[in-house]
Amino acid sequence: MRGQGLFAAPVPGTSLVHRTPLWLKLVGVLCVGILPWVTSAGWPLAVVTIALVGVVLVARLPARRLARSMRGLLPVLVVLLAFQWWAHDLAYAVRVVLGIVNAFVAAGILTATTPVSDLLDGVVRAARPLGRVIDPEVVALTLGIVVRSVPWVAGSFASVRESARARGLDRDPRAVVVPSVVHVVSFARATGEALAARGLTDPAGDDEAPGRHTAPTGSP
Amino acid sequence: MTEVRLDRAVVTVPDDGSPERRPRTILGPVDLVLDERRVSVVGANGSGKSTLLRLLNGLVAPTSGSVTVDGLDTVRDGGRVRRRVAFAFTDPISQLVMPTGREDVELSLRRKHRSRAERRSAADAVLNRFGLSHLADQSVYDLSGGERQLMAVAVVLATDPGLLVLDEPTTLLDRRNILRLRALLDGLPQSVVVATHDLDLAADADRTLVVDGGRIVFDGEPRAAVEHYVRLVDGS
Repeated sequence: MRGQGLFAAPVPGTSLVHRTPLWLKLVGVLCVGILPWVTSAGWPLAVVTIALVGVVLVARLPARRLARSMRGLLPVLVVLLAFQWWAHDLAYAVRVVLGIVNAFVAAGILTATTPVSDLLDGVVRAARPLGRVIDPEVVALTLGIVVRSVPWVAGSFASVRESARARGLDRDPRAVVVPSVVHVVSFARATGEALAARGLTDPAGDDEAPGRHTAPTGSP
Repeated sequence: MTEVRLDRAVVTVPDDGSPERRPRTILGPVDLVLDERRVSVVGANGSGKSTLLRLLNGLVAPTSGSVTVDGLDTVRDGGRVRRRVAFAFTDPISQLVMPTGREDVELSLRRKHRSRAERRSAADAVLNRFGLSHLADQSVYDLSGGERQLMAVAVVLATDPGLLVLDEPTTLLDRRNILRLRALLDGLPQSVVVATHDLDLAADADRTLVVDGGRIVFDGEPRAAVEHYVRLVDGS
């Protein structure tokens, strides 16, 4: 199962975007995500779209990877555009779709220009003040797994669609949705088991404390 | 050498097939002491091999009896056991949880090295030791099946555990990659317990267990064990 979109792995480089501090990139992603909520006009979103294309060019991210990422999202965008057009009007539908595209591309630029280990370090630093409530390492690990799982889920969905097409069931949504959900649940379970096997879910300092009881999870 | 001890270890699961969901024994009782450098486990699908292996680092807890690794109970001292016992799964893609191999090795080392520079340097040393430096920054999705499996083994060995447990590591590999994995395993200083359907790999151990119907039905010299297993399968 292959995923070579913007989220698959960082694109090594020394561009201005690569060298931009993580906090600034995160603020940028946040602003892009918030923009659709604070503007009722379409042109600011269009400006951001053009700016993001500029950032992609400056970062020298392969256009192919961007296109692959967008291709996976395209069916959802088309359905969303049609629904919002029907429910509201075309201008509103375009704003919704542009907002999603911008957030998706901004997040993709962040992950493509930042090693995940740097992201994890950043999250651990940011979550440290909340250390009494949550384990910053667990928060960082969760984020890392989310980033890594996006291409897997997209690849799984494509494989399932291909299988449905091979069986002549591509028009039946159940033939795509049900196996996709089963795949994702199975993947989540296998990932959880792998994390447990590596001791990554054990509390820090477990060297001294008694271990937790792990319920049987493996198949015989 | 790491010593694993199973004392009357039994694993049961609720039987979904019966209306009362009465417990069904899927393994045991098993009494074993494993202290050889290389131990292989063979058995048919569903025989209990994977459950036996999962007992060794506490992924599965015994319903009754106990499992200890160097005297540490896998239930009470789960965290410490998992630092001593690394586990590699059949499908490495579910095990490689970061986008690239380097980042995954760094993840293994996060508790050992808090400084990013130290972690990076230690990860480079691990990848170099396993001859995987050239694959360090590739997406794990772009690696071949064999490369992924080697990377998954390197990732779990990064913390220098005493015992490596592998659950059918060659199932998804072609012949060339099986040989690469075997060469890597041969060179490891760690004790290794491997469940496999590859009878050549099984016969290469110091001791082989044959599992059938949740019980150890043969325990001894690898060639004799493999012959026993073949007779068992052919006779059924």
